[in-house]
Amino acid sequence: MAKIRLTRRKLLAAAAPLAAVPLVGKLALDAQAQASGHDHSSHGHPRSPASHVHGAMGHAAMVGEEAPAVGGPNDLDALLFPPPALPYEPGRVREYALTATDVDLEVAPGVFFSGWVYNGTAPGPVIRATEGDILRVRFVNAGQHPHTIHFHGIHPTNMDGVFEIVPTGGEFTYEFEARPAAFHVYHCHSMPLKKHIHKGLYGAFIIDPKEPRPPAKELVMVMNGFDTDGDGSNNFYTVNGRSLYYARYPIKVKRSELVRVYLANLTEFDLVNSFHLHADFFRYQPTGTGDTWEYTDTVMQCQGQRGVLEIEFTGLGLHMFHAHQSEFAELGWMGFFDVVD
Amino acid sequence: MEAGSATSRARVGWRLWTVVPVLLLALVVGLVVTFSSSLVDLVGSNPPPADEFDIRRVEFSPGEIRITVRNPQRDELTIANVNVDDAIVPFTVDGSTTLGRLRSSTIVVPYDWVPADPITVGVTSSTGIETVKEIPAAVETPVPSVEGFLGYALIGVLVGVLPVSLGLLWLPALRHAGPAWLSAFMAFTAGLLSFLGLEALSESFQLQTALPSALGGTGLILLGVALSFLGMTALAGRLTGGSAATGLALALLVAIGIGLHNLGEGLAIGASFALGELQLGTFLIVGFMIHNITEGLGIATPVAKTRVTILTLAGLALVAGAPTILGTWIGGYTSSDVLGVLFFAIAAGAAFQVVVEVGRYVARHAPGGLKSGYAIGGFLAGIATMFATGVLAG
Repeated sequence: MAKIRLTRRKLLAAAAPLAAVPLVGKLALDAQAQASGHDHSSHGHPRSPASHVHGAMGHAAMVGEEAPAVGGPNDLDALLFPPPALPYEPGRVREYALTATDVDLEVAPGVFFSGWVYNGTAPGPVIRATEGDILRVRFVNAGQHPHTIHFHGIHPTNMDGVFEIVPTGGEFTYEFEARPAAFHVYHCHSMPLKKHIHKGLYGAFIIDPKEPRPPAKELVMVMNGFDTDGDGSNNFYTVNGRSLYYARYPIKVKRSELVRVYLANLTEFDLVNSFHLHADFFRYQPTGTGDTWEYTDTVMQCQGQRGVLEIEFTGLGLHMFHAHQSEFAELGWMGFFDVVD
Repeated sequence: MEAGSATSRARVGWRLWTVVPVLLLALVVGLVVTFSSSLVDLVGSNPPPADEFDIRRVEFSPGEIRITVRNPQRDELTIANVNVDDAIVPFTVDGSTTLGRLRSSTIVVPYDWVPADPITVGVTSSTGIETVKEIPAAVETPVPSVEGFLGYALIGVLVGVLPVSLGLLWLPALRHAGPAWLSAFMAFTAGLLSFLGLEALSESFQLQTALPSALGGTGLILLGVALSFLGMTALAGRLTGGSAATGLALALLVAIGIGLHNLGEGLAIGASFALGELQLGTFLIVGFMIHNITEGLGIATPVAKTRVTILTLAGLALVAGAPTILGTWIGGYTSSDVLGVLFFAIAAGAAFQVVVEVGRYVARHAPGGLKSGYAIGGFLAGIATMFATGVLAG
């Protein structure tokens, strides 16, 4: 009703000659403007902020207690800290067991997402092998829908997780030689693909080179999003599955120690995601392969893209990191490193 | 003796049968409640609840946004997360976080909003469903103050009391009109009131679409229309002692009908302005003045051949115009969407009843009755005039 009035109001301009008695109306308008205390003039600029409150708010300040996040301090350690790299040993077999289930994930405080997950979390567990290991992954489908595991990397096509759909109650063992040395991902490849991935069926997959990387404090960060209301766009963005988790519980690292982050993007719906570090720079090795490292503070990854970051912190204290898409950052993809001596 | 006890038994039996259907209904309801899930299983499965909030009001004050939400559905709904412009924000809830059916709470968000910029608020339920409301331009919500109170009153006077009073000044000219022309003006009044009645009815239908279906908007409208129509009929009967209303009685009825309409009009202006949906400007106020001046003509016509004092005329002007002031206050300072629907329905019922009264008058007094060219022409002219000037207030 009010909207109709607003549009029809424009017709009044055409009827201006009729309004030969505008003086009374004008008086009324001015009286109203003063009466309601709507003092634009005292602000000077009509676009100046209405608030006189400073500090306390603003998302940059959402750290520690102020950041709303699910759970306690060490809940995500199994996802953040990968299993240790093992030195190369010819013919070794590495076994993993993954079970797909349907669960309600609490992705932000009080907000539940009905997810499909490997071993209870989205992302699923970190799978790690050394180049040349025989990887044997036993997959059991305890969910209500047919699933698979599709690993990135080099392997026979019958181990690709595309043709062997595992029905509810079924199982399949994937077995292949782990190669090439790189940072990979794995995810379900059932149709519809978008649905099966965004529901939470994905995870990080590290293949260490035979010649080991230098020792470092190693972390895994899988960037993802959750479309909790099913409208085809994400309501929350996270690293390792809980929005603002690392803002609530900053990741403690030592300045003397090299920090290596295995960063992967498994966000659905949005074409790219990104990682930006505050107050310092890092080296970035795309896909964790090759000799070319970029020296930067921001990297961008397409869906399924990943890479390895190495950070040598210069300073101490809270170093923020977040997606440089401000929208993602403000919808939960934001955290801190707490650098200590 | 025997005959007597048989009668009393019959009387008890008769009384018993008044409650038997109710008792049986209670029994059946109990059974349905107990076995409802198996009943649903017979035919399929229930869809999940929509889990969407009804965002009723978003208010802006310096450094703060207040969002009033209601649970429009049967199942409980929990406020879990709040976004402003697609960003998670800290918030507190004034009231309960988990809302039962038709319960409301107010979410308080400390936020540095920018005046005149569009802003979007989103409230996410525990099931992850986000309800979004877009505000076209953020403006500071007026808080009750003496100045604001008087300001609304002044607007009410300008768009309600003043034009009606000016319209009444046509009275001396009307006194010289012949019976045919007078009946044309009466028919004009009927046309005017038909327009206002229909406008009020359509307004209440529009407002009720925003109500949760549980609040039964259409039933509320029918109730309002019927209440005021019958109330006005009773009032007309009392004023005239049963015969058709003429003179001052008819003028008073017309004034009441117009007054109830103006109450709704004031409410709409106040509420739209308070919610930042309406620009109160010179043109709008002037438009309403031109639109409403004809209402004064409608009140003056029935008393064209009756002696009335200035005081009586002033009283009539107040009855028709002053409710606008009351309306702007209610609209500007309260947020009851139910009240808006009900007020417009009441206005519609009253207007239609007065159309009937005026019609009876014209039928009796117009040379040639309702079929005369004066009556038909006047009626159509009334509608056309309201339509044309309505463009100005639109």
